[in-house]
Amino acid sequence: MSDNNRPGLDFDFHGKALDNIFETYAEIRDKCPVGHSERYGGFWFISKNNDIFAAEQDPERYSVAPSMLLPSFGTDIPMIPIDIDPPKHWEYRKILLPLFTPQAIRKIENGIRMTSRELAIKVLESLRHGPTDASSMFARPVPTIVFSRIAGFPEQDWPKFDKWVYDIIYARVEYPERAKNAAQAVMDYFNDLLMARRSAEPREDVIQKLLEARLDGNPLSQDELISYCYLLFVAGLDTTVWAIRSSLWYLGQNLEDQRRLREDPELIYMAVEEFLRTLSPVQAMARTCLADTVIQGQKISAGERVVLVFGSGNRDPDAYDHPEKIQIDREDNKHLAFGAGIHRCLGSNLARAELVISLKEFLNIVPEFTLAEPSEQWHGIGKLTIRMN
Amino acid sequence: MKVSVDEKRCQGHARCIAFAAQVFHIDDEGFSHEREGFETVTPELEKYVKKAFANCPENAILISD
Repeated sequence: MSDNNRPGLDFDFHGKALDNIFETYAEIRDKCPVGHSERYGGFWFISKNNDIFAAEQDPERYSVAPSMLLPSFGTDIPMIPIDIDPPKHWEYRKILLPLFTPQAIRKIENGIRMTSRELAIKVLESLRHGPTDASSMFARPVPTIVFSRIAGFPEQDWPKFDKWVYDIIYARVEYPERAKNAAQAVMDYFNDLLMARRSAEPREDVIQKLLEARLDGNPLSQDELISYCYLLFVAGLDTTVWAIRSSLWYLGQNLEDQRRLREDPELIYMAVEEFLRTLSPVQAMARTCLADTVIQGQKISAGERVVLVFGSGNRDPDAYDHPEKIQIDREDNKHLAFGAGIHRCLGSNLARAELVISLKEFLNIVPEFTLAEPSEQWHGIGKLTIRMN
Repeated sequence: MKVSVDEKRCQGHARCIAFAAQVFHIDDEGFSHEREGFETVTPELEKYVKKAFANCPENAILISD
């Protein structure tokens, strides 16, 4: 950090700041576990595991309005359900809960397996000709295909999604206009799709469930439906891409662990939890503090923005032994990768299934691989160039 | 050892059934409950229940001797 007198002053958790964020986390946990950054209009950050957990359990003090994202995802419209506080939050959330239980996800596991297998075979074919981008050929398409199928996003539209996701989630920090335009394009897209679906044959997917949902006897309005679809779009397509990519990033440079997972694929279940703890796609989420609050001796005033830094809590030495070490067989591993409390990631069971199955298939089909471009970072959804060892 | 799920804390992470599906089950909205007849944990299941306890992100699993 540049200013040693006021550590944390320029704390950031987006873009280039992620290159060495784990050192930054260690520094803020040590010097200012609750501190203030001047970025994005100013926010308090909470970096200790226990404090983050406590805030997650206290939605009456920590509101998700105006947005859980900082900066927002290219729109001021609250995303349903993550930007909604109780009691309305539960009404929205429970509509989709049955579609994302472990038993519901089990029914689509075979589809995830077949898709992963087909894509891994293409990676293998490409690797025979030279270094290959495992991100664009595997990490990006697996969740796009799997989630679009469940959600009911038509297959012919998938190629459009990639750029929208990139502009909304990654370009938003530097180029807010690009995010805004992409957000509008996505909302227009869902407006049209929802209109078309109203007069189409009913199908078994998320959009159908939303169209049929009733709150106090009334269907969701078109605006509510668009907001819900928009959230599913940004949440379902991006985070799992990052998680698959960062797992491959780790395995491409830790061959002993890569060999261990090949020899004992059952260990992938535990390895995935460790990758989620240490390389999680959701490094932080925002709240607004509704009442004057003191944490770790710091006063946060009512109305101020607060960022819960999950990525730091996940590497807190007070919560984990050797927190910086990635131990693929770590036994006690309750982490904050999916958040906690009432806003626990709705898609966590799906994400876990996608991660476990896709990594299993990848390791089953692609022989030992290493990173061909060591400058490629652990974070994001950009290129991950691998070669056969 | 006795086990139960604190239903006010459970948020449906479903980690418990990854370790001890014999003892816990998940309802149609994704929330966990101890299975009927498994409130008292047999010695051979204890280590699995302890893992579920240690990995529950919400601290929603209650165990007692």
